[in-house]
Amino acid sequence: MSDPRPEAVIDPSRADPVLKKQSKSQSEIAWEQFRKHRVALIGGGVLIVMYLVAAFAGFLAPYGINEYRTRPSSAFRPPTQVHWTDPETGRLTRPFVYDVAQERDPITFQRVYVEDTSTRYPVRFFVKRPEATYKVLGLFQSDLHLFGVDDPARIFLWGTNNLGKDVFSRVLYGGQISLTIGILAVWVSLFLGLLFGGLAGFYGGWVDEFVMRLVEVLSAIPGLFLLVVLASLLQDPRNPLARAFGLQMNSAQTFLMIVIVLGFVGWGGLARTIRSLILSIREMDYAQAAKALGAGESRVLWRHLLPATASYVIVDLTLAIPGFILTETGLSFIGLGPSEVDTASWGLLLRDATARGISIQFVPWLLIPGIPIFLAVLSWNLVGDGLRDALDPRKRR
Amino acid sequence: MFAYIVRRLFNLIPTFVGATLLAFLIAQLVPGDFLAQRALEPNVRPETIERLRTQFGLDLPWPVQYVRWMGSLLQGDLGLSFSSNQPVTNLILDPIRNSMILVLMSLVMLYTMAIPLGVFSAVRQYSAADQVVSAVSYFGLAIPNFFFAQVLILGLFVLRSWTREAFGFNQLLLPVAQMTSSGYLDWPWYRQAWDIFLHALMPAFVVATAGIAGFTRVLRAQMIEYLSSDFIRTARAKGLGQRSVTYKHALRPAIIPFVAGIGGILPVLIGGAGLVEIVVSWPGITPTLLEAISRQDIYVVLGLVVITTLLLMVGNLISDLLLAVVDPRIRYD
Repeated sequence: MSDPRPEAVIDPSRADPVLKKQSKSQSEIAWEQFRKHRVALIGGGVLIVMYLVAAFAGFLAPYGINEYRTRPSSAFRPPTQVHWTDPETGRLTRPFVYDVAQERDPITFQRVYVEDTSTRYPVRFFVKRPEATYKVLGLFQSDLHLFGVDDPARIFLWGTNNLGKDVFSRVLYGGQISLTIGILAVWVSLFLGLLFGGLAGFYGGWVDEFVMRLVEVLSAIPGLFLLVVLASLLQDPRNPLARAFGLQMNSAQTFLMIVIVLGFVGWGGLARTIRSLILSIREMDYAQAAKALGAGESRVLWRHLLPATASYVIVDLTLAIPGFILTETGLSFIGLGPSEVDTASWGLLLRDATARGISIQFVPWLLIPGIPIFLAVLSWNLVGDGLRDALDPRKRR
Repeated sequence: MFAYIVRRLFNLIPTFVGATLLAFLIAQLVPGDFLAQRALEPNVRPETIERLRTQFGLDLPWPVQYVRWMGSLLQGDLGLSFSSNQPVTNLILDPIRNSMILVLMSLVMLYTMAIPLGVFSAVRQYSAADQVVSAVSYFGLAIPNFFFAQVLILGLFVLRSWTREAFGFNQLLLPVAQMTSSGYLDWPWYRQAWDIFLHALMPAFVVATAGIAGFTRVLRAQMIEYLSSDFIRTARAKGLGQRSVTYKHALRPAIIPFVAGIGGILPVLIGGAGLVEIVVSWPGITPTLLEAISRQDIYVVLGLVVITTLLLMVGNLISDLLLAVVDPRIRYD
């Protein structure tokens, strides 16, 4: 990114040669540093692609999130093979798939699917399927899909689960939950962390003592327990919160609740960091000067102390997002996340692979939803590390 | 030192009371209880419910319940389980012991793998091996451990199908589920111990992965910083060998955060072990907890939370004491 400010305004003949170039702002320096961090840039690119895919999941996914057929059942179908070459001539052709028929292996009684090579079903692009409508960015209805095949054939790029739901479509939709929940939860814990950490560091005394005790108590209870107990109790339709929302929580409310629970469990570390930063910044000359000039308490806190913690907080939060993503997928994995009804968190999809009576060796494609979790967490970590280096003046390159 | 330990122990009391109170409050959020569930069953008489309610003290206000529960806790009694009518202590001891087997094994793995790896990549900074270690540790940090466990299980199955084709060897290299094999009860103790060890290897490694990756990275950074510091130059100038400089002079200060971190790593390991326990059906804390929650067996839930909280606080204390041993700059007077 080039310097957007017009340099021509300053007359080069009159300007002092040293001043000819305007000095860079903090964020410009940080961005310049960040750009030099190749891995972090790659991580950022991967994230942008993933978030775009999640945003347009409805269009990219050939099937609806809960679409399945019982007759003929398509349970546990392995990934559909897309043929690129003509089997007779061996030449490259327009991609097509075959319909499959379910049979039983005579010895192991395992379900096997055999291709019926009599009819070819070409892969069509920009198909309209009224069975699978979706809302584009939550705004308007559409039933246009990037690709699809004609009935009765079906195209399952990553196979199907025990009910015959398309894993590929569900992974795309799952990103909408799993990728956003971390970002939202970070705001909750940012709010709590800033509030409590700021208060503790600024006022000290009994406020500090109380807040730090609270953080200690929270961290004394194993986090997973707190999460599991909170999530399961709040999802119980009889509890007061659930009743306030209406008896049965719908998926959006469960989602919101998980966000709050995650943020609530995760703010302690941030509060501690902010408190110790404020304690040291409060004694610095400029903060003392502001106080001496008659600035009020809240002005010193909001204008002088909290902004100074910004770079730490940004890095802390960026590195907290992958943690929240991992926690959310873990919660969904044990069935306490957003429910099955019309969402598909990646953790929930992985749960299919451990269902009772399933041996993973026969349905390895059910593990595919783990890969995007891994990619998202990895990329957020890379971006966070890049940001930390970029914002740290000692690591300038 | 003794005075310090006593002071620390006293400091634990408010934290403990706060944590149990919080857990108790959260459990009280549910308006119904186990007995309300039970009352819906047609063959249970209302009088029985009433009797049980008085017996468990559920008709009292919650502060009274908490004080009563705390009182019996101090006598080592965690109350009765509603669903099985047994003392909670009997129900949760085995799961806690089983989880501890996993957690301690992964703790051992963590230290025996992270320290050599960290030292190695710091000494060979920017070498190919160092880059590989860095890359692998990024992977280790990013992979969710329940997914990693599933992948390893799949890998073991695939390995078996290969060895079966190649050598007719139709055995899994490591057991992938449960904690014991069939026939376990008839074996002598050393074979039982070996059996549990084999079952724990894979899950313990999975639980330790993120920790190994994180520790390796931090230790590498610490070692690099110390290896370029003045006292190391002095040590080298005095003619000390590479080995002595690395292990005696640089490693000792670099290791301090890890000793301090044992207290912090324990809850992470216990939490992480939970999901892995579910994948490999390890009879540990988390499966028991989930079952107790689904049955609204509040005293079992609270018992598990209390015991693990206690374990964590003791772990923190131990790491503080170890820190005093490793770091001579810390004085506890």
